[in-house]
Amino acid sequence: MARFFFNGRSGSRRRSFRSPTEDSAALKLTLSAIAIAFVGVFLLLPLLVVFTEAFAEGWDHVWTTITDPDSLAAIKLSLTAAAIAVPLNTVFGISAAWAIAKFDFPGKTFLVTLIDLPFSVSPVVAGLIYVLVFGMQGWLGPTLAGYDIRVLFALPGIVLATIFVTFPFVARELIPLMVDQGRDEEEAAVSLGANGFQTFLRVTLPNIKWGLLYGILLCNARALGEFGAVSVLSGHIRGETNTMPLHVQLLYDNYDYVGAFAIAAILAMLALLTLAVKSFLEWRYADELAASHRH
Amino acid sequence: MSAPGLSLIARPRSVLPGFRLSMGFTLFYLASLVLIPLMALVLRPFELSFEDLWTAVTATRTLGALRLSFGTALAAALIDSVFGLIIAWVLVRYRFFGKGLLDALIDLPFALPTAVAGIALSTLYAPNGWIGAVFMEYGIRIAYTPWGVLVAMTFIALPFTVRTIQPVMAELRGDAEEAAATLGATRFQILSRVVLPALLPAILTGIALAFARAAGEYGSIIFIAGNLPNISEIAPLLIVIKLEQYDYAGAAAIGVMMLLASFIMLLALNALQSWASKRR
Amino acid sequence: MSLVIDAITKKYGRFPALNGAGFTAPDGAFVALLGPSGSGKTTLLRILGGLEAPDSGTVRFADLNWLDMPARERRAGFVFQQYALFRHMTVAKNIAFGLEVRPRSERPARADIARRVEELLELVQLQDLGKRYPSQLSGGQRQRVALARALAIEPRMLLLDEPFGALDAKVRKELREWLRHIHDKAGVTSVFVTHDQEEAFAMADLVAVMNKGRIEQVGTPADVRREPKTAFVSDFLSN
Repeated sequence: MARFFFNGRSGSRRRSFRSPTEDSAALKLTLSAIAIAFVGVFLLLPLLVVFTEAFAEGWDHVWTTITDPDSLAAIKLSLTAAAIAVPLNTVFGISAAWAIAKFDFPGKTFLVTLIDLPFSVSPVVAGLIYVLVFGMQGWLGPTLAGYDIRVLFALPGIVLATIFVTFPFVARELIPLMVDQGRDEEEAAVSLGANGFQTFLRVTLPNIKWGLLYGILLCNARALGEFGAVSVLSGHIRGETNTMPLHVQLLYDNYDYVGAFAIAAILAMLALLTLAVKSFLEWRYADELAASHRH
Repeated sequence: MSAPGLSLIARPRSVLPGFRLSMGFTLFYLASLVLIPLMALVLRPFELSFEDLWTAVTATRTLGALRLSFGTALAAALIDSVFGLIIAWVLVRYRFFGKGLLDALIDLPFALPTAVAGIALSTLYAPNGWIGAVFMEYGIRIAYTPWGVLVAMTFIALPFTVRTIQPVMAELRGDAEEAAATLGATRFQILSRVVLPALLPAILTGIALAFARAAGEYGSIIFIAGNLPNISEIAPLLIVIKLEQYDYAGAAAIGVMMLLASFIMLLALNALQSWASKRR
Repeated sequence: MSLVIDAITKKYGRFPALNGAGFTAPDGAFVALLGPSGSGKTTLLRILGGLEAPDSGTVRFADLNWLDMPARERRAGFVFQQYALFRHMTVAKNIAFGLEVRPRSERPARADIARRVEELLELVQLQDLGKRYPSQLSGGQRQRVALARALAIEPRMLLLDEPFGALDAKVRKELREWLRHIHDKAGVTSVFVTHDQEEAFAMADLVAVMNKGRIEQVGTPADVRREPKTAFVSDFLSN
């Protein structure tokens, strides 16, 4: 690759020479302009709008909105849901990756496809399936109601929705990574007398830690931001079952635009932080992350 | 599926421990949280008679919503494939100031909560918004029309095309392009006959992923769409509306249609992948 | 009609890849560029093919000011080390590529292209494999497809970068004689890069020994062997 890039800088005597793998200056300029314009209009402008609208009436209004009890309750609920869903999906991701990467069994590809399934299901459909299971007309709803357990329009429903939409994040980061790394090191550890737990903690985990962190990061971002699935299951009870994104909707629908954008700005900051850490991990630990980074 | 079923699976011969534990937990977690609830969805519509089911799915409003969701998602995926291809090319092949920032920004739709994207896009494209005002001068309304749906879907699905094409592009070997040049091809011929065909599987995969994401999208769309039945009402929203009316079977009927589309997409993706690996 | 390469220099950043390299070869000669890795032989070959531009120096070939022509106009058939076959095209399509990308006025008729492809497949002894994809071929077969593809454009010059580098010893030996045979039949001036002196001496009319971006010695295999002109050449040959 180096050869292609050095061309332009070697101060070639023949100004007219252009490597066959290089685009003309005009094409470069055109394509770069299109790319930057598209990203600018479609991605950057919406981000700018969030912050300009949030601070349209100054800091005070933002502060009042954020410290409002209903907002604080929403922030707390979002953090609680993520704090339950993310660790569970992390344990699942590690366990699935261990089984898939370290052992051979029939139907492996099918299992991987099933794990990816929640990504191709609409978040609203994800909410819907739990309504069908836990609703009063659902399979388990009446039974659970008999024991006074509420799933719908309560924390368990919100957690279930969050788990479903963030289900594959850790697993799909770890599976290709651990398959790549093979099983030699673990086999060596076992032959030296380590038990399963020691092998995982001392051999496997150090090899996958950055990939694991990457998966958790993405899982967490999605967990805090999920809207569709949670919306179906939450019941939108102000101060009780409203997560941050739902609170944004509630404020927006009540024409409190500055308030909506104030909460939105917090979420946008979190998103930017996620992107920054993600970019850092990709740059610093490129070799230790899985080769394929698809969402 | 869990503990008793596992004993049917022969333990693979390996010195490593933990197969039954990890496999058992994986299957239990997957089945109880994903597969069984999805089954509840698939079985639910059959509680209706086939006639009622047919009526539920073919109702004008349902058909309109499905057509809008799938049709617009396809349009958005195609738009994103063109611009995704250009963006990926610029990121992989060119060097310029701020490229790292551009690269990081691509994932914004993925990291930004959809509700935030929804209100931001809605404000931006409203008749008095920064972009909406420009279009209003030409008499074009974007927010609260199907165009708004297209904008939101294009926004949300962009990372899927860029991030699918980008790694494949980065792995293209320059020597095929050089070979084409020594054989007399112009730069345009090199791009259209050598580079583009080599990227085709990745482009198609990107389109499929973008389509699936856009068709199922809810949060970023409902704020900007205006949600007029038969005009700018998307299928996921209709599910929510039917649920609010306690029409569970009706909601499930639309849900099954969407799930069916997801399955077809998954099959198409698998077929694409085996086709692409054959050409390697 | 001879190939005259004179005082070529080329730097990558601060690293001088070529440092005044030059030699002359008669028309139709089969020239081996022999040298250790990093001696600049591949860079020189890429300059001849139009894939790189030198910082200074000249190349005259067949009364053409060779370096002022872009790669696509030189008609220099280039065989890449890793073959660089187009993976999404069949073998036949690969070979036909150079003819199909010609401007309409110069492009042969479809039937003529097909006939030419058949001839070339026969020449490289792959008659029945036209419909296969490169991934379905062995290394030696791919090598022959790459050569057929380069020959399809009726090249003015044939350039081969370590043509046997990726093949095992037995296949190498077979292909050597065969390649020499093809060269004699086509009659074009050919330059091939190798680090294997046995290969160079067995095949070439003229061997150019390279070191640190310069040509240490040019001569027939017999001359170079009998009278190494520099300490480097005698050292390199005694290895």
